[in-house]
Amino acid sequence: MRQRASTLLIALAAVSALGLTGCSPASVTPSASSTPVSGGTLTYASGDAEPSCLDPHVGGNYPQALIATQYLESLVSRNDKGAIIPWLATSWKESADGLTWDFTLRDGVTFTDGTPFDAAAVQANIAHVQDPATGSSTGYLALQKITSTEAVSPQVVRLHLSAPDSALLESLSQVWVAMESPTALKRTQDENCASPVGTGPFMVTKWVKQDSVTLVRNDDYTQGPADSAHTGPAYLDSIVWKFIPDSASRYAALQSGQVDVIDNAQPDTIVQAEKSDQIAHLDAPRPGASNRIELNSGKAPFNDPLVREAFIRSANIDAAVKSLFFDTTKRSTSALSSAEALAVSRPDLFGYDPDQANQLLDAAGWTKRDADGFRVKDGKRLTVVFPVSTNQSIPAEQSLFEQLQATAKQTGFDVQLTPMDLSSWYGALAANDYNAVSAPYTKVGPDVLRILYHSDGITPAPSGYFANLAQVDDPKLDALLTQAAKTSDPDARADLYTKAQNRLLEGFYLLPLYDQQNHYLYRTTVKGLRALPTVSTPTFYDAWLAA
Amino acid sequence: MLVHSAGGLFVLWAVATLTFFAVRLIPGDPAQAVLGGPGSQASPEALAAVRAEYGFDQPLLVQYLRELGRLATGDLGRSYALNMDVAPLLLAQLGGTLLLALLALAVAWLLALALATWSTLGGKTAWAVGSGIEITAAALPHFWLATALIILFSTWLGVLPPISTPGPVGLVLPVLTLAVPLAGFLGQIMRESFQAALESPFVLSARARGEGELGIRFVHVLRHAALPAVNLSGWAFGSLISGAVVVETIFARPGLGRTLLNAVTLRDVPVVIGVVLIVALAYILMTLVTDLAGALLDPRGRTA
Amino acid sequence: MSELEVQATLSRGERSRSRGRRVTPFEVLAVVVALFLLVAGLLPGLLAPGDPLGIDPAAAFQPPSPAHWFGTDESGRDIWTRVVHGAGTSLVIGFAATAIGLGVGLVLGTIAGMLGPAVDFSVNRLLEVLFAFPGLLLALLFILIFGPGVWTATVAVGLSASPGYARIIRGQLLAVRRSSFVEAATVLGRTRRQLLLRHILPNTLAPLFVLGTLGVGQAIVWASALSYLGLGAQPPAAEWGAMLSAGRTYLTTAWWMSFFPGLVIVLTAVAATVLGRAIERRARYA
Repeated sequence: MRQRASTLLIALAAVSALGLTGCSPASVTPSASSTPVSGGTLTYASGDAEPSCLDPHVGGNYPQALIATQYLESLVSRNDKGAIIPWLATSWKESADGLTWDFTLRDGVTFTDGTPFDAAAVQANIAHVQDPATGSSTGYLALQKITSTEAVSPQVVRLHLSAPDSALLESLSQVWVAMESPTALKRTQDENCASPVGTGPFMVTKWVKQDSVTLVRNDDYTQGPADSAHTGPAYLDSIVWKFIPDSASRYAALQSGQVDVIDNAQPDTIVQAEKSDQIAHLDAPRPGASNRIELNSGKAPFNDPLVREAFIRSANIDAAVKSLFFDTTKRSTSALSSAEALAVSRPDLFGYDPDQANQLLDAAGWTKRDADGFRVKDGKRLTVVFPVSTNQSIPAEQSLFEQLQATAKQTGFDVQLTPMDLSSWYGALAANDYNAVSAPYTKVGPDVLRILYHSDGITPAPSGYFANLAQVDDPKLDALLTQAAKTSDPDARADLYTKAQNRLLEGFYLLPLYDQQNHYLYRTTVKGLRALPTVSTPTFYDAWLAA
Repeated sequence: MLVHSAGGLFVLWAVATLTFFAVRLIPGDPAQAVLGGPGSQASPEALAAVRAEYGFDQPLLVQYLRELGRLATGDLGRSYALNMDVAPLLLAQLGGTLLLALLALAVAWLLALALATWSTLGGKTAWAVGSGIEITAAALPHFWLATALIILFSTWLGVLPPISTPGPVGLVLPVLTLAVPLAGFLGQIMRESFQAALESPFVLSARARGEGELGIRFVHVLRHAALPAVNLSGWAFGSLISGAVVVETIFARPGLGRTLLNAVTLRDVPVVIGVVLIVALAYILMTLVTDLAGALLDPRGRTA
Repeated sequence: MSELEVQATLSRGERSRSRGRRVTPFEVLAVVVALFLLVAGLLPGLLAPGDPLGIDPAAAFQPPSPAHWFGTDESGRDIWTRVVHGAGTSLVIGFAATAIGLGVGLVLGTIAGMLGPAVDFSVNRLLEVLFAFPGLLLALLFILIFGPGVWTATVAVGLSASPGYARIIRGQLLAVRRSSFVEAATVLGRTRRQLLLRHILPNTLAPLFVLGTLGVGQAIVWASALSYLGLGAQPPAAEWGAMLSAGRTYLTTAWWMSFFPGLVIVLTAVAATVLGRAIERRARYA
């Protein structure tokens, strides 16, 4: 599912080699003076939709990733410098031709149902994700290049690939392809959805639909990913994972101490929280693409690059970001998240310049204006149909679109904002009934560009969904992106992605806004909370409650 | 009684039929809804398999008859989106909503009774003030009242939780949100009938006998005056269920209202039909109970 | 019973204890609110000359002040201006929804009340079925089929109110039909058509005016509830329910964003109730 979802982490030790430490997702470390204490129940309130299945192999969206991070573990993880680190696998080796990978698994790990974790378990998990009956979309894409698996020994599993995949390690670090007990996977999908069994620090014990999931500590747990603060079982006795869709209620609940941690925090409450000594803020921008508005170059009026540029120049995004997000986020001028080492920013292309916008529109032939002040050409108004998914755009973002509508009107654009529920929104996209759209896409690594802007992405899936919403159809860009995905030499790869991004941005296919927002607020009694530097989901393994 | 049951069954059938066809009119592919919603990348084979399994490839009439057949045996079917059977799902949600609605009804009754008693006792000014309070209360939209109560009691005073927590404390704000507007309606009706009853001959004779004003009110007036309000409770219950949609969302309470809103946006047909049937059934039962209560309270034996 | 029927019952109760033609302070207030709404609806520029959609990011989130009586919202739009300009939308929704509800109710109620017991029975069963639906669900389904927006919300509100109108109208028709003067007219040999047009309808229509007044208030509240759920008017339109909904996000930092739109919704509903009753009371003496 694309809803705040989906990923393929691009593996590149180059990330750390390039030294982009400042851009990594933030993490909070407990203050040195305090000693962790065990015990207590932490209450987490999620504003994301309640998953219909707690097994993230099925479908694979962000709400599933948030909760599954607490009870499932992956073969590898990433540290906050962007380097791949051991987790359930202690070491790995790529063959010279890049077509086989050997993973050595950690010894003595068992799932919480007692099943041993071994090569056969890894095989069963990959088979489960690749089985069409599972209905995996995110994990399925991540493992697409794996053609077969083999157990070299109980502790060594070998993966055979159809083509070299420099993104494999990051792909495997995602919770959407995390390891589940093969015994549990043999149950019906309903049973496995209700109580997936992993090797993680907590386990699912109860799920009251529309209310909460209860997670209890796994007392046999020995160690987390290599960058964890401690070993042994988690500190917390249990976690109550509540679903509170209303953002005002969620924040009020945090303020009054009913809950300890909330996600999807609104900008104004973040500012308020930062003034409080009872609530702290964890900012963990999601990797992959930035939040951006795609301009549909597949149909008029945005099939004309001049009109695309005029639209971008007419939008006063900087002022909107400042007034609506205060200083909780920065304006982006890149197609990629600031968490991506290879992101290319082009402030020169995305500044607010109404005069230039007017000149561009005149040059494009939109010279006349109608009674309402909108530009017309051949009797047609310069209209931008902009469907907005209320599920995927937080209120501040919807307000930002309203401000964009108001500033673009001065240049003569008639921006028609239509807020819709998710089904109608996908319907409008599938029917090509849009000129502009904002669709979040989480996917670590610059390979996200291939998904979003390669011309292959214009062909819709049976559901009507297609990822290339800007409908960019540029053979030169296609070639650059395809080549980059196969290139494992860090310098050559960085060069290819830089070229691709410049080509993309200079084509004015998209209007970048800011990083994909991912803000958590928590009571200061919660210590040791951090976001996992893979897809920026919080982990409670090191967390504890101060008295 | 027999007529009542037959009428009730007819209403249930018609409600199911109407909902079935109405939900089918909503744009969107039900098979897609089963396979994780519109954003999922379900393969054509998977879609075809689901269509065959759920019978979406059958003519609409066949699907409808099947659905009826299942419903007739008490099988509410299987949720498209939640990976579980509808009956246990709704059963689990029913308790919370019923508790909320019944508590709100009781609290509204008490509030209305207190206000009506006070305003008929207190002379012209009390009458006007009481009437003003009631009309205003009746006009308060749930979504605004809930917000105001959260600001007042949770954010400013910090005495009550802003979300529904287990235990009685967490119920206070949701119940108040539903009860206050209802009390506005009930209060007006009670006050009208209080007044009418107070001016009636039997009260005049009781006064002549020297009975105290408070005694008169409780012994004689209450019984007569409560009657119209009892008749109203059937309606009140229905409107509480509508209100539950908003209240359960704002206070993050599990319940039928929230389930319904989710199911409608996800095009989860079996869940929508299930909720509607349960609410219709509750409505029918409630009407029956108020009719009976009305008959018991009314000395003439029957009320409209 | 529907909310409308409850309101109508309450208004009729007004007769039993009304104390003459004296104008109460509530009624004066209601008239003031109604006048304000009318002026705001017809000539919003008179009360608030600004642009309800005009943004000013630099002036966002300002609390109420002499410059911005009701404060400003997240895009620096003046809330007073938006509330005033929103009156038009709300009034149009209120009147249109009431017209739809009354229209459908009139047709159903008339055929039930006039065409004999068999038709009456069928229409009654239909109404019973409609009443068994939670009011919100009927509107919800309608909007999902036809897509959210001001007009679908208006029609949805009108349609969900129509069973209530139908039942009241039918009841009144039956009462009038049974009344002595209609019996007298029947004895005098009037045709069914003459009966309906000259006697029954005029006696039924007078209370409809009261019903309509109550209905407008209620329709405005219902439509704003739909907007609040994101199914009615769409932002940035200056519609009260939509404004309230947008304001809820900023509840803890900018209470004025949700307080004032909510206040006018409540005032409008109260004014409609008070006016409806005042009319009812005077109709009795007329």
